Amino acid sequence: MQSLLLGSYILIWPLASLAVLAVILTATLKDLRKAKQEQRGLV
Amino acid sequence: MNDSTLFQFSTLTVLLLLLAFYGGTYLLTLLIKDKKENTDAFMVSNHRIGFGLGAASMTATWIWAASFYAAATSGYTYGVSGPLHYGLWGALMILFIYPFGRRFRKLAPNAHTLGELIHARHGASSQLILASSNVLGSIISLMVNFTASGALVSVLSPLSFQAGVIIAGVGVLSYTLWSGFRASVLTDFAQLMAMMAIAIVIIPAVLFSLGGPAALVDNMDVLTPEQANLFSMDAILNQGAPFFVAVLAYAIGNQTISQRLFAVREDHIKPTFITATIGYGAIVIGLGMIGLMALITGIEPIDGDMNNLIPQMVSMYLPPVFIGLFFILVIGSLSSTADSDLCALSAIVMADVYGKNIAKNNPDPTKMLFIGRLTMIVATLLGVIFASFSMDILIMLVFVGALWGAIVFPVIASCFWDRVTNTAFTWAVVAGLLMFCLARFELLPMTGVIGVFFELLGSAGGGVVIGLMSFGFFGRRAGLIIGVLGALVLAYFTLGFLRDYTVLLASLTAYGASTIVCIAISLLSSHKFDFQKISRDVGNYDHNAKAAQS
Repeated sequence: MQSLLLGSYILIWPLASLAVLAVILTATLKDLRKAKQEQRGLV
Repeated sequence: MNDSTLFQFSTLTVLLLLLAFYGGTYLLTLLIKDKKENTDAFMVSNHRIGFGLGAASMTATWIWAASFYAAATSGYTYGVSGPLHYGLWGALMILFIYPFGRRFRKLAPNAHTLGELIHARHGASSQLILASSNVLGSIISLMVNFTASGALVSVLSPLSFQAGVIIAGVGVLSYTLWSGFRASVLTDFAQLMAMMAIAIVIIPAVLFSLGGPAALVDNMDVLTPEQANLFSMDAILNQGAPFFVAVLAYAIGNQTISQRLFAVREDHIKPTFITATIGYGAIVIGLGMIGLMALITGIEPIDGDMNNLIPQMVSMYLPPVFIGLFFILVIGSLSSTADSDLCALSAIVMADVYGKNIAKNNPDPTKMLFIGRLTMIVATLLGVIFASFSMDILIMLVFVGALWGAIVFPVIASCFWDRVTNTAFTWAVVAGLLMFCLARFELLPMTGVIGVFFELLGSAGGGVVIGLMSFGFFGRRAGLIIGVLGALVLAYFTLGFLRDYTVLLASLTAYGASTIVCIAISLLSSHKFDFQKISRDVGNYDHNAKAAQS
C-alpha cells in the first residue's frame, strides 16, 4: 500500500506533464492550421 | 551511499550538444524572420498569440534553471513535502495573477509593458520605479541563468565555467536579436516540448533504476519525522511561506510575465494561465522528486553543493544518453528564461524609457527597434560579466521577490481603486523597501518593541497577500474580510515568533508597510482617476507613427 502511495506521489507529475504536453501540442497545431487558412504567421 | 565524481562529456560532445541546441533554435527562428520587423510584433507579437504557444511560452519562461535545482534541494532538505513547497506555490502564482492580468488587459488592451499602464495611471515616477525594478530583476535573472549554464558545462565537461557562460549568452542573443518576442515565443514552445518530454522520461527512469517505489519505502526510516510529514511545519515556515510570498511579488513585478499577458489573445488568457499553472507545477514538482529520492537513498551531494543533486542522481543511475537529455533540459530551461529576459528588457527600454519618456508618445518605430536590439546586446554583455560572481540562486530568488513585494499592492490598487495617487504609489514603494531592508539585513535589533512592531507589520503583510488572492478570485468584500481576518490571526500566532524567520518576516514587512502607506496617503486625497484614460493613452507604436505621418 505504502509503495503504491509513494509510487503514485512520484509518478503523478510526469503523467500530468504528459497531459499538458498533449494539450499544448493539440492547441498549437490548431492555431497553426487556422493561421495558414488566414494566410498569416503563427506568431 | 555516494559517488565522488559526475559523468564527464568530452569537449567535442558538449560542444556538439550546445551547437545542436542553439543552432536548431536559431534555424527555427528563421521560419518567422521578417526582413523589416514591426515594433509591436517585436514586443508583443501584435497581441495575437494563440492558446498553445501562449501557454508554452508562459510555462517555459516561468521555469528557469534554478527551478530544478531549488525544487530538488527542497525535496532533499524537507523530504516528502519539499518539492510541493517549491513547485506548487510557484505554479499557483501563475494562476493568482490571472484575475489581475485580465484587469490589466482590460484597462490597457494595447500595452506592451505594465509600466506603460502605470505611466498612464500615475505618470513617469511611478512608471520608472516599476521599470527599474523590472530591469534589475531581469538582469539578475540573466546573470543567474548564464551562471547556471557555466556551472553545468564546467561540472559535466572539461570546458571552463566562463566558456559555458559565454556560449549561453551568445546562443540566446543570436536567436532573439532579430525577431525579439516573436522568436522568444516560438523557441519557448520548442524548448518546453523538449523539457517536458525529457522530464516525463527522466523521473520514472530514476525511480525504477533505484529499484522502484518498494525499494524507497524500505528506506523511508532514514527520514526524520518532519521530513516524513506531508504537512511539515518546518518545510512550510522555511521553504513554502517565504517562497510563496516571494513569487507572488515576482509574478506581478516581472515584465516577462506581463509581456506574455499582453501578447496572448484576450479570449485565450484564461486557458493559457490554467495550462501554464499545471504545466509548471508538474515539471518542477516532478523534478523535485529526484531530490526526495536522493534523500531516501542516502545520497550525499558532491562537495555539499545541492546543485549537484540532480546531475549526480542522473549520472549514478542512468546511462550517458540520459545525462545528455538532462543537459538539454537545463540548457533549454535557462535559455527560454534568458531570451524572455532579453525581450522584457528591450520592451522596457523601448516603451517605458524611449517611447514614454524620451519620444513622449511619438516615437520613431525604426529607432525604437534599434534601441530594443541594442538593449539586448548590452544586457547580454552585462549578464555574462556579472555571471562571474557566483551567488546562491535560491536566496537571490527570495531577495528579488521580496524587493518586488513593495510594489505589488500599489500596482494592484492603482488598477482597481481610483483614489490611489502618484505620491501614494511612490512613498508606498519607498517605505516597503526601507522596512524590508531593515528587517532582512537586521539593521535594527529584532527584539522588544521593535520586534513586535515588525511582526505586526509582517502580519499585516500576510493579511495583504491572503486578501489580494481572495480579492482576485472572489471580489472586494471577500478580499477585505479575509485579508483583515488573516492579518489578525497571523498577528495572534506570530507575535514573539516570526522574528526568528528573517526572510519571511522581511518579505511580509515589505507588503505590510507598502500597503499601509499606500492606503493612508490615498485616503488623504479626494481626487478620483478616470480609468478610461489608460486605454486612450496606451496604444500601438506602429499605428501611432502611421497616424502621425498621415
